[in-house]
Amino acid sequence: MTEAASTTQPDGVATPWSITLEDVSVTYPNGTRALRGVSAHIEAGEMVSIVGLSGSGKSTLIRTINGLVPATSGRVVVGGHEVTGLRGRALRQLRGHIGMIFQSFNLADRTSVLNNVLVGRFAHTPSYRTLLGLTSAADKELALRCLDSVGMLEKVWARAGALSGGQKQRVAIARALCQQPSVMLADEPVASLDPPTAHAVMGDLARINAERDLTVLINIHMMDLARQYSRRMIGLRDGEIVYDGPAASATDADFEQIYDRPIQSRDRMGSAL
Amino acid sequence: MTTTTLPDLTLPTRPSRLRETIAAVLVGAVVLVSIIGLDIPWTELSDIPGRVAEYLRLMFAEPSWEKLPRALFETWRSVSMAWLGAIGCVVVSIPLGMLAARGVGPAWLRFVLRRSFAVIRAVPEVIIALVLLTVTGLTPFTGALALGIAGIGTQGKWVYETIESAQEGASEAVRAAGGNTAEVTRWALWPAAAPALMSFALYRFEINIRTSAVLGLVGAGGIGTMLSNYTNYREWDTVGMLLIVVVAVTMVFDLVSGSIRRRIMEGGRARAVDR
Repeated sequence: MTEAASTTQPDGVATPWSITLEDVSVTYPNGTRALRGVSAHIEAGEMVSIVGLSGSGKSTLIRTINGLVPATSGRVVVGGHEVTGLRGRALRQLRGHIGMIFQSFNLADRTSVLNNVLVGRFAHTPSYRTLLGLTSAADKELALRCLDSVGMLEKVWARAGALSGGQKQRVAIARALCQQPSVMLADEPVASLDPPTAHAVMGDLARINAERDLTVLINIHMMDLARQYSRRMIGLRDGEIVYDGPAASATDADFEQIYDRPIQSRDRMGSAL
Repeated sequence: MTTTTLPDLTLPTRPSRLRETIAAVLVGAVVLVSIIGLDIPWTELSDIPGRVAEYLRLMFAEPSWEKLPRALFETWRSVSMAWLGAIGCVVVSIPLGMLAARGVGPAWLRFVLRRSFAVIRAVPEVIIALVLLTVTGLTPFTGALALGIAGIGTQGKWVYETIESAQEGASEAVRAAGGNTAEVTRWALWPAAAPALMSFALYRFEINIRTSAVLGLVGAGGIGTMLSNYTNYREWDTVGMLLIVVVAVTMVFDLVSGSIRRRIMEGGRARAVDR
């Protein structure tokens, strides 16, 4: 893995990567089979939602892509690099090109917003510099630009823990953008947010996908958000793909098949207003 | 009152209380054996309250304030001893404790560190001071050294337990961004654990203030040594004054340090980022 693998353009936008999963299975040490022979191909620049109930394997699937959860069998190939074969430094280098945001934001609450965003530069910076907090002017500039692009620049000196949920998720998006990623992963990014904020964050992700032509994968269980913001939808049930097709035209029956139960009101986020 | 016949209650069978009974008998037996082993002078027990009152009168009826300056100087030496000991202990135990935390250090190192902490915890400060006294001689520095070493056992354990209980989320995010273990520790675990660790550091200082008086008794210097000397001279009015000073100083330091700790734990403003 070298820096040249992702050709970073002058304006800080990296070339998007495609993702290929070949017969991927994950069995956790406690015996839980989270994924059973999942295969899918996601084109570079696609925005795909992964829909399923909690426990369906969504979180595991998205974590096999950056190697946070190693695949027990099968192959995961991201941007031409086989994640399943990578260890140590090579794996960390690859992760540097894959941004990720989380349901619970996962910021370091007791430090500043800026320090949190600079985490995005770790894979691209020598460790001694990050450990001593020696930030290069270029990295700081990039972090500030990323914060500005999600409208959070004015909070740059604030403590991350003092922000609201929606603000935290935006800082988390800035942290991921600061990696100049080729792929963006989002694990239930709006499940902890109220409807207006959820729509705003989904709108941010759609805008990033459109403007930066970035491959975006979003785990989500709200059917209306999946339909509205993604073109393609992958449905997971019990660790297996049960739907793979266009999102906008997915019928309620398709969702009932993914959920394996009738649709309930909590399966919809509701409109922003 | 009307007596109506109520239907018979069908009580579920009471669970066996055998275990509690055995425990009670065992505790009782231990108490009895201890009493026999201690050779207690039962006939003199009734005199004790009177004698205690007599000594309390000697000490506190008219405490002698003549030696107060000397006492305050020795107190200062005790506090210095406590402070140096706390700093030494914290400086050593934070890095070692972090390496001993699950997910930070390798398994073999964790094992070695945790065993070492346990061994140190098993040795009281006074014993460490007595051993050091033979090497370094009678100085307050010996006390500081003893406090520093003895504290590492507990302090190190607090550090790794705090690090291990820090929330998972931020660590996962740093790993997802390509950070290595050192970076996860520095930018996810440390921010989460730092206030608790600072608070523990101050708590170590409070503990050391109390322990430093005890170390003085074995000759490590400071207020404890003065207290021990005047008890031997049987100058009870000076001993009374010294006790008042020890209690007052300990309480004041506990109060101040405790209120600082509360402020640390309950937040306050974020540290300004000056880069």
